[in-house]
Amino acid sequence: MSVLLMRLAGPLQAWGTRSRFVHRHTEAAPTKSGVIGMLAAARGIRRTDPLTELLEVSFGVRIDQPGQVIRDFQVARTLDGRTSMPLTYRYYLADAVFLAAVSGGRALLDGLHDALTHPHFPIFLGRRSCPPAGVVSLGVHDGELTERLATWNWQASAWHQREHKSQRTVRLEILRDAHDGDPITETTPDEPVSYDPTHRQHGWRSVVREHTDVNNPLFRPITDHDPMDALEGWSCT
Amino acid sequence: MTRTIIDVHILHTVPPSNLNRDDAGSPKTAVYGGVRRARVSSQAWKRAVRLAFEDHLDDEQLGERTKRVGEAIAARITNLDPALKDEAATLAFDVLKAAGLAKKEPKNGTQAESEYLLFLSHRQQQRLAELAVDSARAGKAPEGKAAKDAANREHSVDIAMFGRMVADVSDINVDAAVQVAHAISVHGVSNEFDYFTAVDDRKHDIQETGAGMIGSIEFNSSTLYRYATIDVDRLQETLGDPAATKNAVQAFLLAFALSMPTGKQNTFANGTRPDAVVVQLRDTRSINLVGAFEEPVGDQTDTAGRVGLAAQALADYTTQVHQAYGDEPVEAWVTHVGPRTAPLATLGTVLPLPGLAEAVASKVAERIGGRP
Repeated sequence: MSVLLMRLAGPLQAWGTRSRFVHRHTEAAPTKSGVIGMLAAARGIRRTDPLTELLEVSFGVRIDQPGQVIRDFQVARTLDGRTSMPLTYRYYLADAVFLAAVSGGRALLDGLHDALTHPHFPIFLGRRSCPPAGVVSLGVHDGELTERLATWNWQASAWHQREHKSQRTVRLEILRDAHDGDPITETTPDEPVSYDPTHRQHGWRSVVREHTDVNNPLFRPITDHDPMDALEGWSCT
Repeated sequence: MTRTIIDVHILHTVPPSNLNRDDAGSPKTAVYGGVRRARVSSQAWKRAVRLAFEDHLDDEQLGERTKRVGEAIAARITNLDPALKDEAATLAFDVLKAAGLAKKEPKNGTQAESEYLLFLSHRQQQRLAELAVDSARAGKAPEGKAAKDAANREHSVDIAMFGRMVADVSDINVDAAVQVAHAISVHGVSNEFDYFTAVDDRKHDIQETGAGMIGSIEFNSSTLYRYATIDVDRLQETLGDPAATKNAVQAFLLAFALSMPTGKQNTFANGTRPDAVVVQLRDTRSINLVGAFEEPVGDQTDTAGRVGLAAQALADYTTQVHQAYGDEPVEAWVTHVGPRTAPLATLGTVLPLPGLAEAVASKVAERIGGRP
């Protein structure tokens, strides 16, 4: 098996599963249908085209920097400003970083990596107004998805790692597709079947929540208390 | 096949202002790099761009988003054939119904409306009106196929740019060729309050003191990083004409750089011009450079030189990204104001904005011109 790893980061992201009408929610982590849809867009598969081999892949995501939910209040008006439409509330995840992984055959994943570096349709993190910051594909690697997600180095931003500098390791949450025999934590309507706008379909997806401990590259062991440390480099003489 | 993608990066300083409010009237914000930032939503700036298109494009190339399509088409029917004036409203409804865009029969004296805001180009409105007139003269109802076709060809520039979604007639949807990111400030902000009192002009003659009303307005000031990317190949697919695509790119660059949402503009007069515009033509993928500002630029009290620091950060980060991933743009152009933003001059050919838009557009024409 091979695994394609992706870093999903940007000021804003939005991964909805249950949005209805004017409240457009986001989950706390990227959804399988959102990420598969992004990969399909990169490959140039139209919404009405069959997803074929993309339906076969297994998906998992690690929450490297949880970020926070912000609410965006939006109105829609006609060009002359006279008619107003229902007000909508859009929720976004701000300041979050995720490590997402899909596993499948090597040839398929190599193709997806190429697609992410030369996307046919511009890719975005759940909503078109959320372009990714930095590079998305971290390449294709041999091995199992669970093991890759558990051991890959911490993708959080430097400022976030600094905040945890007193910790040698940090505990990160993983949400991944369940295998046979796994104790399932939850099921969500997040198994992509078709993105056709006339009858979009999702199946139920069984998800396992786990956690892993990864090293903090900015770990600074706390030495004996020295109040002058705060003055960085000044010594008392 | 060659890919053509245009990335636009803008540094834009606004004085105390409230461009884009939430439901409590506070300027919108976001959190990035662990720090609260000013935010102007992508939808707010896209509307400003659509309005600014009117200065850069002919009416024929534009559209309007409205529920009152019946009224627009009836007026065009009357223009085409004044004899049909009395039936125009009914004819307009019939043709919209045939296209699946209106359902409710208008009551006497009213005009047909669509179920939601509907984005039609002026050309499409005209063709629907022509179809209605032709059907009326032939004495038959307009055909659904012809009506849908009229609504789905000759897209206006703004529809091609920003897309169109019609929930229950999905075969006339258009995918947007442009992504606009929410603008965020390159530094941390906290919103401030302006406490105001209003004086009653007629109270000065009696011995009454006190204000006629009191209130407060929230505002902030910021240097924004604005980003948009145009997928020229998708735009060409939708517009179907290299000359139209070239004009659209040129108009978008000018409109995006020079527009500003109108929120509270009479209170704050915050109409500034961008400090710097960097445009990159790429053939691999679009690259958003917001990472340059994940570490906020300068601290909140140090506003002096913030633009200079931001320009330096953007120039450094762009070079680092290109070095790390070997993703050099095919070509790049820069418009910048004065020496503060000079670090950005290293990123591309320096031109004044009209010249820049011209240069980008001719390069785009050169790249797509060879294809049917």
